[in-house]
Amino acid sequence: MTSSENSNVILEADKIHAWFGSHEAVKGVSLSAVMGTVTALIGPSGCGKSTFIRTLNRLHEEIPHTRVEGQVILEGKNIYERGVDPVGVRRKIGMVFQKPNPFPSMSIFENVAAGLRLAGISKRSLLAEVVEQSLKQAALFEEVKDKLKAPGTSLSGGQQQRLCIARALAVKPPVLLMDEPTSALDPISTAKIEELVMELKKDVTVVMVTHNMQQAARISDKTAFFLMGELIEWGDTSQVFTTPKVEKTEQYITGRFG
Amino acid sequence: MDDKAPRPSGGSGPSGTTFVRMIRKQTPQPRWGGRRYTRARLSLSDVKRRWVSRFGVFFLYCLTFLAVTPLLGIFIYIVNKGIPGLNRDFFVSLPKPVGETGGGMGNAIVGSGILVSLTSIIGVPWGILLGVYLSEYASSRLARWLRQCIDQLSSIPSIVIGLFAYAMIVVWTKHFSAWAGTFALLIILVPIVARTTEEILKLVPQHIREAGLALGIPRWNVTLFIVLKGVRGGVMTGVILGIARIMGETAPLIFTAFNNQYGFSGLNQPTASLPVQLYTYAISPFEEWHQQAWTGALVLVGIVLALNVISRILFKKSEVRRD
Ligand SMILES: Nc1ncnc2c1ncn2[C@@H]1O[C@H](COP(=O)(O)OP(=O)(O)OP(=O)(O)O)[C@@H](O)[C@H]1O
Ligand SMILES: [Mg+2]
Repeated sequence: MTSSENSNVILEADKIHAWFGSHEAVKGVSLSAVMGTVTALIGPSGCGKSTFIRTLNRLHEEIPHTRVEGQVILEGKNIYERGVDPVGVRRKIGMVFQKPNPFPSMSIFENVAAGLRLAGISKRSLLAEVVEQSLKQAALFEEVKDKLKAPGTSLSGGQQQRLCIARALAVKPPVLLMDEPTSALDPISTAKIEELVMELKKDVTVVMVTHNMQQAARISDKTAFFLMGELIEWGDTSQVFTTPKVEKTEQYITGRFG
Repeated sequence: MDDKAPRPSGGSGPSGTTFVRMIRKQTPQPRWGGRRYTRARLSLSDVKRRWVSRFGVFFLYCLTFLAVTPLLGIFIYIVNKGIPGLNRDFFVSLPKPVGETGGGMGNAIVGSGILVSLTSIIGVPWGILLGVYLSEYASSRLARWLRQCIDQLSSIPSIVIGLFAYAMIVVWTKHFSAWAGTFALLIILVPIVARTTEEILKLVPQHIREAGLALGIPRWNVTLFIVLKGVRGGVMTGVILGIARIMGETAPLIFTAFNNQYGFSGLNQPTASLPVQLYTYAISPFEEWHQQAWTGALVLVGIVLALNVISRILFKKSEVRRD
């Protein structure tokens, strides 16, 4: 990495370990993301991708009997520092989950506005503006502009997932984590979301878990390969996919195991 | 059994696309012995099975009828007996002394309204918050202990709760009061609301909570404004059922709120209620009072029934909205 790139690092994980009870699911992963890039995390099922990504916004600790060790530096500050409020951290790091999860019995509008509202913003005109902008960013506005009052759960799966992206974007986080955001979607919705991610990276740094090699190759700048809780290889996507340094990586991306 | 649709015949049908064949290969097909199912002739065992089934259904209808008859019977009987005394006076007048005709249960209706409202105003938020605590901090030791206590509490006979409230409040303040009645009713209402709220909150999937947390919303706000709001219909159902229950409670009020023939005169004073007034009149030897008791019963049943119906509607609505 050159030094100019280095200064643009927005998120850096430093020797992250994560446990469920006594089971160590992530074993010392160090990784960093440069501003305005997409990082793809790949690896076989159960290798700790979700667990790792959830340590980045301190969501892992919400599960009882879990533990995290190591540092995550966000914009120069360690989010695991004593006294740091996880709520503030999560406002800066949005997250989109595998299963679309709009809030039940909230309208489309309310879903997108939820983050701002519960942060204390109640000015109707401001909310309306941010909601529209976020829905546009998530490429959903045209489809829902006439039914913003309809329940969020009344949308199709793909629309719901874009609603969740809009909801995450509404609080304007500099970083967006996505855990297999397209694995529950049809090819057209998937393509839409991929397009969206490429568009988004102007404003947001994206870290995305995916099981789809083509997807990783298409949209990411960096790729990280996980295996059994460890980071096996990490580098530019083109390099990882064409000339992987580690044999395991090559075996995985060519589909010989996993 | 009449099978109109032909069953799949294990690959002997017209050849599909390769894709379909692939799927077929993966999903094991039931074997039908190569023979297609048509409207087969009924064998003797089929006929027997049909009749057994018909008899079973008939038997179930009978049981249902048996269960519903007393309910309908009670309802019709009460309506019959109660209607003659149902007039404006019944709702607004105070009871008349024995021997005089007329009068009503205005005191009891107002008193019940006050007791139930007061109990609800205090008990509903309390019960909901308790339920939230029980569900969101389910595994903490305090929560487990509380849950045990609440379950035990709901199995105590209400007359015992009345005695307890008497010993705690009435003996201490040296007089019957609406507060003492409210205290007793709270002991009944809070556990009901807490437990239904807890059960309903547990139906909300964990990933909804995580979505809220990941947005940078503090935990209590996630719980109250996202999780609880999402199931408010269900929670309201529990609340209304609880209110309907305390509406009809007599035993806890006899030694606490007691009765008051002169209308409501303050929360520190004895207070009438529909069930207690009804009980007093029903055990009296006077014919006019019996009529009042029947009409009181009709009004009480009407209110409780209305509350139950409302809760049903709310629950239906909340279910529709969930998916
Ligand atoms: N809630 C949990 N409690 C206990 N162990 C868990 C829990 N969630 C995950 N694990 C364990 O942690 C390890 C890593 O799981 P994780 O979900 O991070 O895998 P993953 O790489 O995201 O897999 P997938 O691709 O299937 O989503 C697994 O061995 C799993 O069994
Ligand atoms: Mg996962």
